[in-house]
Amino acid sequence: MSDNTTTSKTFSMPLGPVHVALEEPVYFHLTIEGETVRNVNLTSGHVHRGMEAMAAQRNFFKNQTLTERVCSLCSNSHSFTYCMAVENALGMSIPPRARYLRVVAEEIKRIASHLFNTAIQAHIIGFTSMFMHIMEVREIMQDVKETIYGNRMNLAANCIGGVKCDIDTELFSYLKKSLNTIEPMLRELEEIYLSDKMVIGRTKGLGILPKKDALELGVVGPVARGSGIVRDVRKDSPYAAYPDLDFKVISNEGCCVYSRVQIRFSELFESISLIRQCMERVPEGATITPIPHIPTGMATARTEAPRGEVFYYIRTNGTDVPERLKWRVPSYMNWEALGVMMKDCNVADVALITNTIDPCVSCTER
Amino acid sequence: MTDAILALLHMCIFPGGLFALAVGFFFKGLDRRMVARLQRRVGPPLHQPYIDIAKLLTKETLIPKTAHRTAFLLAPVIAFAGMAVCAAFIPVPGVFQGLTDMGDLLVIFYLLPIPAIALMLGGSSSGSPFGAVGFSREMLMMLAYEIPLLAVLLAVAMMAGKGMGTGAEFSLAKILTFQSATGQFGFNPVMIPALIAYLIFLPGTMGVIPFDIPEAETEILEGPLLEYGGPLLALYHIGSALKTFVVLGLGVVLFFPGTLTDIWIVNLVWFLLKCLLLMALSLTLVKSATGRFRIDQAFWFYIKIPTVLSLISLALVWWL
Repeated sequence: MSDNTTTSKTFSMPLGPVHVALEEPVYFHLTIEGETVRNVNLTSGHVHRGMEAMAAQRNFFKNQTLTERVCSLCSNSHSFTYCMAVENALGMSIPPRARYLRVVAEEIKRIASHLFNTAIQAHIIGFTSMFMHIMEVREIMQDVKETIYGNRMNLAANCIGGVKCDIDTELFSYLKKSLNTIEPMLRELEEIYLSDKMVIGRTKGLGILPKKDALELGVVGPVARGSGIVRDVRKDSPYAAYPDLDFKVISNEGCCVYSRVQIRFSELFESISLIRQCMERVPEGATITPIPHIPTGMATARTEAPRGEVFYYIRTNGTDVPERLKWRVPSYMNWEALGVMMKDCNVADVALITNTIDPCVSCTER
Repeated sequence: MTDAILALLHMCIFPGGLFALAVGFFFKGLDRRMVARLQRRVGPPLHQPYIDIAKLLTKETLIPKTAHRTAFLLAPVIAFAGMAVCAAFIPVPGVFQGLTDMGDLLVIFYLLPIPAIALMLGGSSSGSPFGAVGFSREMLMMLAYEIPLLAVLLAVAMMAGKGMGTGAEFSLAKILTFQSATGQFGFNPVMIPALIAYLIFLPGTMGVIPFDIPEAETEILEGPLLEYGGPLLALYHIGSALKTFVVLGLGVVLFFPGTLTDIWIVNLVWFLLKCLLLMALSLTLVKSATGRFRIDQAFWFYIKIPTVLSLISLALVWWL
């Protein structure tokens, strides 16, 4: 390691690969002058698992399970997008009920994911009570997942041609009740979090990503929307039941860490309203269609995961094993933005800025 | 000769040494438990800090290759020794009148920053960049919180000194006598700004949230303490427990030294209860209601609020 390449004014500081503030291994090589970061070098690849190669050795059904394990917090988005890509390749259309149930699963995961990110943010600021408070509220969503899908993280809700498990009226009323419980709690949390002087002092005007840079770097998800770019796959190229549902794309011109938190909080309420609409409008009927003969061809699919756009590409060769499966995850697009955000920031804020893109290392390196 | 033995006993058993250690760790356990309850957690058992120390003491001592060996080994010992001596100077109203009857407030003022200085020494000698960042942060924090402390101590000394016609009185025993004769300083409107300044000084000197900046775990991984483990880390923790007793005890002595009866055990319990209240107000509640400041924010906070408050008290004492 060339850690000694420092001048008399600066010194180098290794942050990671295992860092207490980040859940996953990534190595920041910081050049520090006093307490100011002058240069950031990123080294990743610590959790490469060769998943794309694995996917080319497994059949379509096994890949359903595999893609769900790419990431933990947006696990549902991966299997969702994978199923959509396969369905596109096979030229299938899924039953209307399944389209709605997929949205329900996706939005439940989005609420849990956004809450997790804001909780970690509070933890990094050192606001342990806020961390505990948010995680306590998130636990309601974890209970919902466990009650409906049987799992707390990997829901296994999607399958090629539809959804795996139907949600009956009893579970729907439970879900409705849980949403009614969680909504006032989230309002309270939002008010505390966004008006707390200490949180504002630590996050406002920090990690600036100007709109111009955001466009050039092609960032996605809340990071893009936090820089004033109105970009959301759910609106731009609607899929599943999203074309029939009403929701707003939240964006903010703030360009800083604070505005990204604000966006995540506002999106929580959009997600709650989306689930409510789904429960009202979900039609009766089948939840799955049989799979037709597998042709040779290729297809793509993209969805809006909690962190941004997930893109899947699949090439089939007529067998039950895909010839190539390739995906691009939102964190991959957002990593580079860290260089802009961290320019001349304080050492104290490195972890905070990293967390603001909601990094998912296991997705990016898979 | 007997004086020396007596002083040594005070340093080793009461109020310094074993007693201060037991009280400090008990308070730390209680603090963790109270924070846990405020966050709707169960929290560790009250004796958890003792268990932690016992475990650390059984571990191996590792010294990094990049470290300056002597300074690295010496720093935690200095932190511990400084606080062990300092604890002996804390009088317990109605039980123990203090080690000496002249100038002990000055001695305490000089001994109090020793753990922070030892931490800086340890951090900078460890050869870790996190230690270096922690060093510069600790130094800035010390600059920030030592000024209000000095002003608070001066205000107290002058208040007592003016009342007794001696100018400024730096003997804790005499300050205690003065307060028991004329009323506790904590209830004196002139001294209330100084009391508030002292309450704000406490989390800074104890290095807890929102002022745990030199050791910020999520930013610089415990900074100076990063390279320490085993018995050396245990010594830092022991020093910190002693410091808990010293700063809380000093707060009670300076502002609320009142006694209930002539029975020493009642006075002792009363003293500890007041320490506990001080801790709950200035450490536990603050810790669970705030996040961490950035170093520049913390620095300006200390300059703007406690320094000004303590100077107001000092000026009022001067003029009135």
